[in-house]
Amino acid sequence: MGKIQDFPCAPDGAGDIGREAVHRLHLALPDIHRKAEPMALAAQACKDDKGAEFCVLPFCHTVEAEAMGGLICYGDEIAGPRGKEYVCHTLEELSDLPAIDFEKGRIHEVLLACRLLKEEKERVALHISGPFTILNLLIDAGIVYRAMRKRPEFMKEVFGKVGNEILRFMEAARSCGVDIISYADSAGGVNILGPKLAEQIVKDFTYGFLKQAESRLEKKVLVHLCPKTVYALIGAGYARYEEIRLPALERDTGSTLMYASQAGELCPGRGAGESAVWPSGHFVKYGEACVEMIGKVQFAGQMCIKHAEHKLENGRFQAVKLY
Amino acid sequence: MKEILLKRLSDGVTEMEEEEVEQAAGEYLAAGYPVIDGIMKGLVDGMNRAGRLYEEEEYFVTDILLCSDAMYAGLNLLKPHLPETDEKNRVKCVIGVVEGDTHDIGKNLVKIMLETAGFEMIDLGRDVTLSGFVEAVKEEGAKLLCMSSLMTTTMEGMERVIRLLEEAGIRNQVKVMIGGGPVSQKFADKIGADAYSENAVEAVRIAKQLLHIA
Repeated sequence: MGKIQDFPCAPDGAGDIGREAVHRLHLALPDIHRKAEPMALAAQACKDDKGAEFCVLPFCHTVEAEAMGGLICYGDEIAGPRGKEYVCHTLEELSDLPAIDFEKGRIHEVLLACRLLKEEKERVALHISGPFTILNLLIDAGIVYRAMRKRPEFMKEVFGKVGNEILRFMEAARSCGVDIISYADSAGGVNILGPKLAEQIVKDFTYGFLKQAESRLEKKVLVHLCPKTVYALIGAGYARYEEIRLPALERDTGSTLMYASQAGELCPGRGAGESAVWPSGHFVKYGEACVEMIGKVQFAGQMCIKHAEHKLENGRFQAVKLY
Repeated sequence: MKEILLKRLSDGVTEMEEEEVEQAAGEYLAAGYPVIDGIMKGLVDGMNRAGRLYEEEEYFVTDILLCSDAMYAGLNLLKPHLPETDEKNRVKCVIGVVEGDTHDIGKNLVKIMLETAGFEMIDLGRDVTLSGFVEAVKEEGAKLLCMSSLMTTTMEGMERVIRLLEEAGIRNQVKVMIGGGPVSQKFADKIGADAYSENAVEAVRIAKQLLHIA
């Protein structure tokens, strides 16, 4: 087991909403957070503008918390949805949070937007938040962080409860045809918790939670983990990266896959027998690589999913393998 | 005996032992020692040690929160016995997270460390309207304004606050210190802030430098 390292989360605007597209389509900003149709249109326009491989939604990290009773301000041009006052003031109140009803509210609209995009033959990536991010919208973060130290057994139960709701959301997403789930929980990073507590979270929650996700999703959906989560799993000794050689794309002649991976076992049937050396000047965008891995691996997370345009010039993809 | 009690107060804070701090504070009061020493050489000393451990990456956010709980537990007992003059001399600081942003962990740490250093903190919370900062500075006569943001979309609001302070004619009465994930010294220079701080411990040093406090 190694030390848990932090993955520096460098804000560079790569994940911002495409405001130009939103204006062009005359969409109202609160609506792209609240209603399925404008949400889907905005996601599609953003994808087209970026030349990306998949549509990404929703445009905030407040949907799950709202579905569990949180109060959300939907924001404006300057700042998107965010928490209003907390609905819980004691830890005990967290035990009484309602189960998510996927048939109503904004979470229903998000799932509906996923379906709309799938009907348009789009690939869809859905952001899903982890328990720290969700809880931080429901109760003062300080109360949660203190309780992690003072009442770990109680918090284990709270995390189990929230984790179960997240798993249900993942299953609902799968039913709607979502291709990629982007899972992140930056509020629970090692930079905040410290290595000891970060390891405890992996042991008490993250590992078991992802094992359940693995068995419920059966590789039908690629779960792209935030590298902060991956580093915690690896550092705590619960996962490892597994390198996969990608098939290269022949850029000059369109999008024809040029040759197969050397290893072949995880990307079969792509003109095997061709050169096993990655041709110079060729690349695969990270987003393309993720799409290529759907159905082949369960977890990925070698970089932030916001960097889907990043060029993998060595053709090496890192799957995340849980022990 | 006094030294032993001061050490218990200090250690209790650094080791996050809230009950031990309360007990030591009670004994300290009962013994009739100067309250200001109990606070400065006991509780604040312990919090400063925790701050150094934070800087050395031995302590993290959760540790600092628990240390501050222990410190405040002691302060609640000792403070009511403090002579009024000691309280009146504190420099006022307005602090908050700018409008559109609700990430307040960093802001809360800065607040704790500045309070420990003797500043009177006026905490406006999170998602604070830009004009709210200016009004608070004006109303409180604050000498220091601390703003934070974790988002690139909202950090621009800090510049607007500085312009509003200028328009209100009080820019030269208050020092502005900013911080947060995407914020940098370069950004601070660009918007005309007086200082940028990378973390809560550094914020104390910089605040004292800005205001020429020993």
